[in-house]
Amino acid sequence: MIETLQQASSYAADIDGLIILVAVLTGFWFFVAQGVFFWLIFRYRAKPGKKSKYVTGREQHLTRWISFPHGLVLVCDVFIIVASVNVWYDVKQRLPEADRVVRITGQQWAWTFQHPGSDGDLDTDDDVYVVDELHVEVDKTYHFHLEARDVMHSFSVPVFRLKQDAIPGRSIMGWFRPTLVGEFDVQCAEICGIGHGVMAARIFITDEAQHAAWVTQNTPNR
Amino acid sequence: MRPQLTTIVRIVEVRSFATLLFVLGAAACGRPATGLALGEELFETCTPCHGANGGGNPEIAAPGIAGLPQWYVETQLQGFQAGFRGKHADDLPGLRMRPMAISLREDDIPSIAEYVASLTPAFAPSTLHGNAGAGAEIYTPCVACHGTDGLGNEVLHAPPLVQMDDWYLLQELQNFKHGARGAVTGDTWGITMRVNTLALSDEAMEDVVAYVQTLR
Repeated sequence: MIETLQQASSYAADIDGLIILVAVLTGFWFFVAQGVFFWLIFRYRAKPGKKSKYVTGREQHLTRWISFPHGLVLVCDVFIIVASVNVWYDVKQRLPEADRVVRITGQQWAWTFQHPGSDGDLDTDDDVYVVDELHVEVDKTYHFHLEARDVMHSFSVPVFRLKQDAIPGRSIMGWFRPTLVGEFDVQCAEICGIGHGVMAARIFITDEAQHAAWVTQNTPNR
Repeated sequence: MRPQLTTIVRIVEVRSFATLLFVLGAAACGRPATGLALGEELFETCTPCHGANGGGNPEIAAPGIAGLPQWYVETQLQGFQAGFRGKHADDLPGLRMRPMAISLREDDIPSIAEYVASLTPAFAPSTLHGNAGAGAEIYTPCVACHGTDGLGNEVLHAPPLVQMDDWYLLQELQNFKHGARGAVTGDTWGITMRVNTLALSDEAMEDVVAYVQTLR
């Protein structure tokens, strides 16, 4: 199975739906436009003894070829805009209550993930720091604080359909809710230097018992 | 006499096939099989940080590596690949180095290590101000592995210290002490080294590094 086609977050299907909507609407008009062009080329091809005719394109029966499709495309745009704003609001502007909070730090060329330890709270002594491995629990809402230590990076989890830039000096908050148990890719989606191409990590999504066992096993004794 | 169309087609076919063979041959020959030539080619990936001569760049915490023994470069690259180094959140230079090491194929490592070993050591000037006199005493237990001359011992996996940058030695002593290095199960030699750093204060580290610099 192609991993990137899996939907492992609560909003992955919404984003896929939006992409499909845009692809179908623009694809429809693309093929219609190409069809008309090729039909016109064929219909008015050079013929022996027939002289070509210059048209200004200002005649009403000609401008209709532009204005009618234009109006219809604008109607389609309304559908796309409404769907886009809905998805954008849900993914980027709405912040559902968190079950867990993690901190994600990008640096050349690795991701450091700060997980809450056994106490469930972040920024306490028992936090679990892991490089290039993010461990989360399925069906729990996570808030993440995304930071960068040196240059711009972009935290991208293809199966979540999540991509968020990390900017030095800023802590950017976002959220996700894993819905599928498994191990998936994390990548950097912003050119960040010679090692950008190998700045990869893995996200491990497990059930409650497995995640609790992992946290217990990795919580430092301090 | 005009050539027949079939003759022209045959000539084109033969030439195309010859061209294809040439291109494939060139591609196959483009990458040296092994040894210094391959190492030199692979080293181009290292030059943005370590410099064309392997002299390093302290501004980005890239140490001088020129002239380090082949066995040591090999074990360190393998250590990065295995996660013994460059997998701790506080080891920023290591985090930069690890993906570079991972991008190397296992059978490329001897070649690149051989090339690094063939470079002339830079012996960068001191940047720290430790007390070398006090450092001489602190260095006493280090002699067992690194030798009185600081030239290291391959059998004990102890690298030569005299040519290493002083800031790098200090950084690695701190990494060992804080568990950013030598704290992963399986890293036998790293764990051995870490044990010897746990009792060192920051001042003691600077002193012993200052002493090592006098061994040049």
